[in-house]
Amino acid sequence: MAIEGADIIKAAGLLGAGLSMGLGAIGPGVGEGMAAAKACEAIGRNPKEAGLLTRTMLVGQAVSESTGIYSLVIALLLLFVV
Amino acid sequence: MTFNLEVILMTWIVIGILLLFGFLAVKKRGVIPNPMQVVGELFVKNLYDLADDALEEELGKKYGPMICALFLFLWMSNMLGVLPPLGFIPEFSEPTKDLNTPLGLGLMGFFIAHAAGIKEKGIKDYLKVYIEPFAFMLPLNLIGELAKVVSISFRLFGNIMGGSIIILVVSHLTYSILLPPALFGFFGIFVGTIQAFVFTMLTTVYISVQVK
Amino acid sequence: MNDITMWAEVAAFVGGGLAMGFGAIGAAVGEGYAAASANAAISRNPEVSGEVFKTMLVGQAVAESAAIFALVVAMLLVFANVGENASWMTVTVFLSSGLCMGLGAIGSGVGSGFPAGAACEGTARQPAMGGRLVTNMLIGSAVCQTPAIFALVVSFILMFTNFSDRPVNPTWAAILGAGLASGLGAIGSGLGGGLVAQASCEGVARKPEAAGTLTNVMLLGQAVTQTTAIYGMLVSFILMFKAFDPAGTTLAPAMALLSAGICMGIGAIGPGVGEGFAAQSAVGWIARNENATAELTRTMLVGQAVAESTGIYALVVALVLIFVV
Repeated sequence: MAIEGADIIKAAGLLGAGLSMGLGAIGPGVGEGMAAAKACEAIGRNPKEAGLLTRTMLVGQAVSESTGIYSLVIALLLLFVV
Repeated sequence: MTFNLEVILMTWIVIGILLLFGFLAVKKRGVIPNPMQVVGELFVKNLYDLADDALEEELGKKYGPMICALFLFLWMSNMLGVLPPLGFIPEFSEPTKDLNTPLGLGLMGFFIAHAAGIKEKGIKDYLKVYIEPFAFMLPLNLIGELAKVVSISFRLFGNIMGGSIIILVVSHLTYSILLPPALFGFFGIFVGTIQAFVFTMLTTVYISVQVK
Repeated sequence: MNDITMWAEVAAFVGGGLAMGFGAIGAAVGEGYAAASANAAISRNPEVSGEVFKTMLVGQAVAESAAIFALVVAMLLVFANVGENASWMTVTVFLSSGLCMGLGAIGSGVGSGFPAGAACEGTARQPAMGGRLVTNMLIGSAVCQTPAIFALVVSFILMFTNFSDRPVNPTWAAILGAGLASGLGAIGSGLGGGLVAQASCEGVARKPEAAGTLTNVMLLGQAVTQTTAIYGMLVSFILMFKAFDPAGTTLAPAMALLSAGICMGIGAIGPGVGEGFAAQSAVGWIARNENATAELTRTMLVGQAVAESTGIYALVVALVLIFVV
């Protein structure tokens, strides 16, 4: 199988895109789950503040999501630009 | 179309044994029960309690007999190749070792659960579940529902198949002298009973998820 | 014996080894956890040692299922009949189905140990609730086995499908990617589902009268936790059954398919575990404060939906890799 340089670069870019999004999804997934777990704990202690706590949870999750979005951006760059 | 005659025959043997058992258990009913009646009452009472537990009183009475029959059939099927004296007959093998049996029973549970859901909640509330929490979850909810059938049937099949593979391999290694009886005991009787129970419980739970 | 037949046999043995080797990790850890919890429970309340011992054995027998699935696949691979018409695709099929089942059994094995342990501790705490606890544990750990069953199904399909009329070049990567997507994708959901079941068993011991609610919320939480494993299985099915154009000697199309499988597989781990954490906490707090069941269930579902988003990104990238690139 004759493999040329440009082909290898393209293949590496595709593999990199998959690895970037795949590995990048682990951290935010676990982190957002922990945020939701703590929010549930707080609501269990004080159900009256459920609305406020859910809002805080969503903001916290949105921030921890950002690294996942960076991974998505890099993956799309590798797929379509490089 | 092909038929697996061995599996069909084994299924009929299981049905025959259960019919015989049922006949003997109710033949000479009395206040002082005969041993068969004691065993029968034990099964029926415990399984009806389970159904009542998961499905509330009224529905529990309705689906109790089905759940009871399902457990007895699965348990007898899993015991056919292993429980003495039946296990000593080399031609006998578990019908649950063939994927068609668990898959058929899984599909049966699936249809019963959905029919119960439509009947108890009405078609509108039944369909509403599929677009919750958002409308675009519809394909996922559908896949999730079908995945239940796949998982329930492959769980039983994989466990019974795995048990008989272990017995086969170890019998070859030890020339059928020492270990096989103990392994029969563990993998056949213990795992077979637990998996029959798990299958029955999950079918009950699937019905209760649909009707609530 | 020609060269490819030899390599196919090598792959069958390696695949069988990978299936059983990886597949044993999870069940062993899970059963060990159950035994450790049983010891702790007996030391706290030695009078019910018999009950605890029975609960432990039943729990371990269910946790063992994942390893038994791996054994079935390993035996099929070790005794696989490698015919004369073996091709390079046969080699990847054997490797992929072994990897798929082996990796897929890790999460469910560990996960189903958690409810077994919690049920042992619960039996020591509330001996009267023994029967209800065992039922709850059996349902919880059986459902948390579902991702391992997805992996079993995918590795069966890989082994029993005839791929020989497909072009070798991109298909080998599709096969490998299919195995990795389901295998890796099952790890997180299996683990997460176990955490939910653990919280539910602890809850039943803490507040027996809420047992019905706890079982139902557990099933709901586990169902959401399993969605990422379902994404993994979805990608596997697309990779296995989509017809790909022959790619000649270029590497890039094959790498896109392999990359799609790896992306979805690894990407499903984090959300699976995270959603498990969320549901674990929600179920645990329903047992402490049953009045807040509605708020807790709602927050759990919202939190899980957000935690799922990175898994959906991974699915999107995998689908782009398969269909667009």
